[in-house]
Amino acid sequence: MKNPYLPLAMRTEKIVIETDDKNIKTFSLSFLNEEDESSFNYLPGQFVQLSVLSEGEAPFGIASSPTQPGELEFTVNKIGVLTTALHNLEKGAIIGIRGPLGNCFPIEAFEGKNIVIVSGGFAFTTLRSLLKYILYEENRSKFGNVTVIYGARRPGLLLYKDELKEWEVRPDLDVHLTVDRADDGWRGKVGVVPNVIKEVAPSPENAYTVVCGPPIMIKLTLPVLRQLGFPPERIILSLEMKMKCGIGMCGRCNIGNKYVCKDGPIFTLAHLNELSGEYKPGGRNFETKK
Amino acid sequence: MKEMKIAKNELVSFLDSLISEYKVFAPVKRDGFVVFQEIYSGSEALLVYANSKKPPKEILFPQSEVLFTYRLGGEGLGIEEPTFKDKQMVIFGIRPCDAKSLVILDDIFNSQVYKDVYYIAKREKTLVIAIGCNRPSSTCFCTSLGGGPFSPDGSDLLLVDIDHEYVVQAVTEKGKQFLKKHSEFKKVEEHSLSLMRSVIETAGVLIKSKVETGEIKKKLDVMFDDPFWDWLHEKCLDCAVCTYLCPTCHCFDITDEALDQRGERVRIWDSCAFPMFTLEASGVNPRPTSKERTRQRIMHKFKYFVDNHDMAACVGCGRCIKECPVNLDIRTVLNSILNR
Amino acid sequence: MPDTSVMIRDTAKKLLVEKRVDLIIGFERGTLPLRSTPCFVRRSVEAEKLIWNASCENNLARYLRKRKEKVGIVAKGCDTRSIISLIKEKQVAREQVFIIGVPCHGMIDRRKIEAKLDGREILEADEVSEKVILKGHDFTEIVAKEEFLHNSCNTCNYRNPVIYDVLIGDKVEENRGIDEYGEVKEFEAQSADRRWQSFTNEVSKCIRCYACRNACPLCYCQECFVDSSQPRWIGKTTNLSDTSIFHIVRAFHTAGRCVDCGACDRACPMGIDIRKLTKKIEKDVKELFHYQAGVNLEDVPPLATFNLGDPQEFIK
Repeated sequence: MKNPYLPLAMRTEKIVIETDDKNIKTFSLSFLNEEDESSFNYLPGQFVQLSVLSEGEAPFGIASSPTQPGELEFTVNKIGVLTTALHNLEKGAIIGIRGPLGNCFPIEAFEGKNIVIVSGGFAFTTLRSLLKYILYEENRSKFGNVTVIYGARRPGLLLYKDELKEWEVRPDLDVHLTVDRADDGWRGKVGVVPNVIKEVAPSPENAYTVVCGPPIMIKLTLPVLRQLGFPPERIILSLEMKMKCGIGMCGRCNIGNKYVCKDGPIFTLAHLNELSGEYKPGGRNFETKK
Repeated sequence: MKEMKIAKNELVSFLDSLISEYKVFAPVKRDGFVVFQEIYSGSEALLVYANSKKPPKEILFPQSEVLFTYRLGGEGLGIEEPTFKDKQMVIFGIRPCDAKSLVILDDIFNSQVYKDVYYIAKREKTLVIAIGCNRPSSTCFCTSLGGGPFSPDGSDLLLVDIDHEYVVQAVTEKGKQFLKKHSEFKKVEEHSLSLMRSVIETAGVLIKSKVETGEIKKKLDVMFDDPFWDWLHEKCLDCAVCTYLCPTCHCFDITDEALDQRGERVRIWDSCAFPMFTLEASGVNPRPTSKERTRQRIMHKFKYFVDNHDMAACVGCGRCIKECPVNLDIRTVLNSILNR
Repeated sequence: MPDTSVMIRDTAKKLLVEKRVDLIIGFERGTLPLRSTPCFVRRSVEAEKLIWNASCENNLARYLRKRKEKVGIVAKGCDTRSIISLIKEKQVAREQVFIIGVPCHGMIDRRKIEAKLDGREILEADEVSEKVILKGHDFTEIVAKEEFLHNSCNTCNYRNPVIYDVLIGDKVEENRGIDEYGEVKEFEAQSADRRWQSFTNEVSKCIRCYACRNACPLCYCQECFVDSSQPRWIGKTTNLSDTSIFHIVRAFHTAGRCVDCGACDRACPMGIDIRKLTKKIEKDVKELFHYQAGVNLEDVPPLATFNLGDPQEFIK
C-alpha cells in the first residue's frame, strides 16, 4: 500500500527570480531517484505538496509542462512560513514533493476548440503549464486559436518575461499583456484584465476560457465573459484553498461537498454554481441569480 | 448471526488470556472519567459505564501521530517511515455508537482513491468487541441516526448483558472465527436468547431522545444562505470540545516538530471551529467568523457527508451535548433546522 | 419578593421596549438537568425565556467585545469584575453596557454532583431554596447546594455585583471566614517536585480544545500565541512540553487581569484544575502589587503602571 504522506526527494537545479520585487521565484527541480521520476505522471492544472522539512508543507500548482520531461517547475510567491523557507533555499537544496494531486484542466475537451486564457498576477503558473502543453510541437495542431490575456499591477510583476516575449511574436498565439500602471518602455496595454477582455472580445464560438487570478479579478471577469457569451460550462476556473493532506481527508478545503484538493482544483463555473454558495470571490456569488 | 455466551465471572480471565496475544484496549477510569486505554490485566476493564469521555477513535486515529521522522544533512530527505508492525489489537467494551463511528472513519481513511496507511494498518489488525447499552443515557440519540443500543454496525462481536452472562453475537466473519477459536465461549440456551431479546427491546424503548434526521439533509440542501446561521453560532465559544470529543470528526492538521537536525512530521487533530483551520498564508479566510464555521460543522455532518457517503457523520453518542461548555445542543440545532 | 427570573425578565423587557438597549445577553433554560445556556434577546417578547438559577455558570462578559449595539447583560459578581477589566482594557465602553447585576449564592458544579452519584444519571433536577432534588431512573436524592458549588464560588469574595446599572433583588451576604487562598497556600507549601508533578498531572489531560481560552472574557488576543506561525512559539501536539507551555503562558498572560471567575475551569471538558495557576498568580499580584483585578474602575492595572517602588525581589 502506497503511503500518500511520504514526500519524494527532489534537487533544486535552478532558481529564477521572476519579479522586480524579488518576491516571486521559480524553482526547477529534478528527482533524486529515477523510479520516482517515471512514476510521477501529471497533466497541466495539477498541483503538489512541497516540503521543506522542519518548516512543513504547502500546495503549489505545477508550472512546468509534462512535455518537458526531467524537470518540474514551481513558481513560489513569498507569503508565509513555507514559501519563505523555499525562498531561502539555494541551488542544490533537497525539497520534498508529494503528488501529483488533484484533477487537471479538461484537456481532452479542449481538443479542437479555441482556448482563451485569462490570468492576473501570480496565478498564471498552472496556465503557463497549460500553454506550454498546448504549444508543444506535437500538440499544437490538436487545438484551435489560442488567446492569452494576462495582466499584472505593473510590468515588473509579470511572470516568465522571456517566454512572454517569445509568445508575443508567435504567429499561432494571440497574446495581450496588460498592466494597471505602466512604466517607461511598456508597450502593452494599460488597464485591468476585465477591461482588456472587453476590448479584445474573444469569440465564445467553439471556445473554452480558462481563468486564474486574484479573487477581485475573477469577480469582475466572470460577468464580462458571460456577456461575451461564454456559457458557464465553458468557463474553467482553478481554485485555491488552504490544504494539508491534499487527498480529501483532512477536511478543510471543501466547497460544499467537493474538496478542492481531490475533486478540484479545476472546476467549471457551471459546477461551482451548483455547489452551495461557499465560494464567493470578493464576497459575492459567481453569478448573481436573476 | 451466530450466538454464543460467556459467563460474567469468566470475563476477566478471558481478557487476561487475550492480553497475552493482543494489545487490548478497554474502558478504564482515570482522573474521574472513563477513557479507552491499553489494559495489562483483565480486571482493569470497566464493564458498567455509560460511555467514555474521549471517543475510542483515538486508538486508530490518535490526537498526535508521527507520520515519519527525518534527519537533515544527509543524502536525500533522510526520511524514516514507521514500521507499521503493531500487534493485533482488540478494542473491548466499545459502545455500538462508537463502533458505528469506525464505519464512518473507514469510509474516510480507506477511500477508493487514497489509502491512509496509518489508520488502515491499525484498523486491519483490530477486532472490535462491543457491549450493547442496556441503559442508554438521556443524551443518546443513536436511533435517530440508523444505530441503536444494540446495533451491530462496525463491531465484529457484540455482547448483550443478560445479568449473569453475556450473549455474544458474531457480527462479521472475523468475529465468527474468533468465537470458534476461544473455548471460553459456550453454547447458548434458548432461555438466554429470549432474555437477550427482551433486553434489546427494553433498551430501544429507553432511547427517548429523537430527531427526524431523514428530513435534515433536504432542508440543508437549500439552507446555505439561510438567516438561520446568523444567530445559531451566537453563543458558540469556537472551541473544539464538540469536534475533539466527537467519534466521527476526523479533520486534522499536519505539522513538523523539529529539534535541531532531526524532527517528526506529525498529524494532529484539528477542528473546523478554529479560525486557523482555513486561514491562508495570505491572510484570506474563507470561513472568517463563527457563523461560517458553525455552518461548516453542521453542513459537513448532515449534508456534505451524506452527499458523499450516503450517511451522516454523526452517530448520536451525545458527547457534544454533555460536554459543550455553553450547552449548544446538537439536537436543538437539528430540530430548529427541521422547523425552518 | 418576586422571583429573580421574573425580575430579570421585567427589566429586560423594559430596557428593550424603551430602546435603552438593543440586545440583552442572559440565560435561558438549558437542555440538560443543571444546565442553563446563554441566550441573546433582541425582542421584548423573547425576554420571557430569560431565567436565573444556580446553573447560570457561564461568564457572559465573554460575549461583550466587538459589539456595535448597546447591550444589556445579566451579570453575577464575578462577571461584573470581568466587565471592569474589559472596560479598563478599553475593550468595552462603560456607556455601551447596561449591567443587570444579580447577587449570587454560588453556582452548582454539576460534575461534583455527578461524581457523588457515581455513574447514576440525573434525569431531572429541581432547585428548591438551598437544596437540589435530583431524580434518576430509580433514585431521588436531595443535596445541599452549598456542598456542590464550583471551587471559584467557594472562595469568592464578590458575590454581589461590583458595578451595575440595576440590581436585581437584595444583596446577599458575602462569604465569611473563608481563606480565599487556602488551596494556593497548600500548593505553595509543597516541594518544587511535588508542585511540578501535580501541575504536569493536570495538564497531561489537556486535549488542546482551547475551551478554557475561549470561555475566558479576557483571553481576547487577536492572535493567540499558540496560533502564531511566524514565529511559532509552541508545538501543536498534546505532548506534555506543548500543553505545559500553553497553560503556563496563558496563566501568565492573565496576571493582573484574571478575576477568578472560574470560566476556564468550567469550560474544560477534561476537568483540569486550571485555577491552580491563575489563582496563584492572582495572589502574587495582590501581594506584590497590591492590586486585585476588577474590583473597581479606578485602580490602575500593574502592567499599565511604572513605579520606582515596585518590588523586584524576583529579579535575582
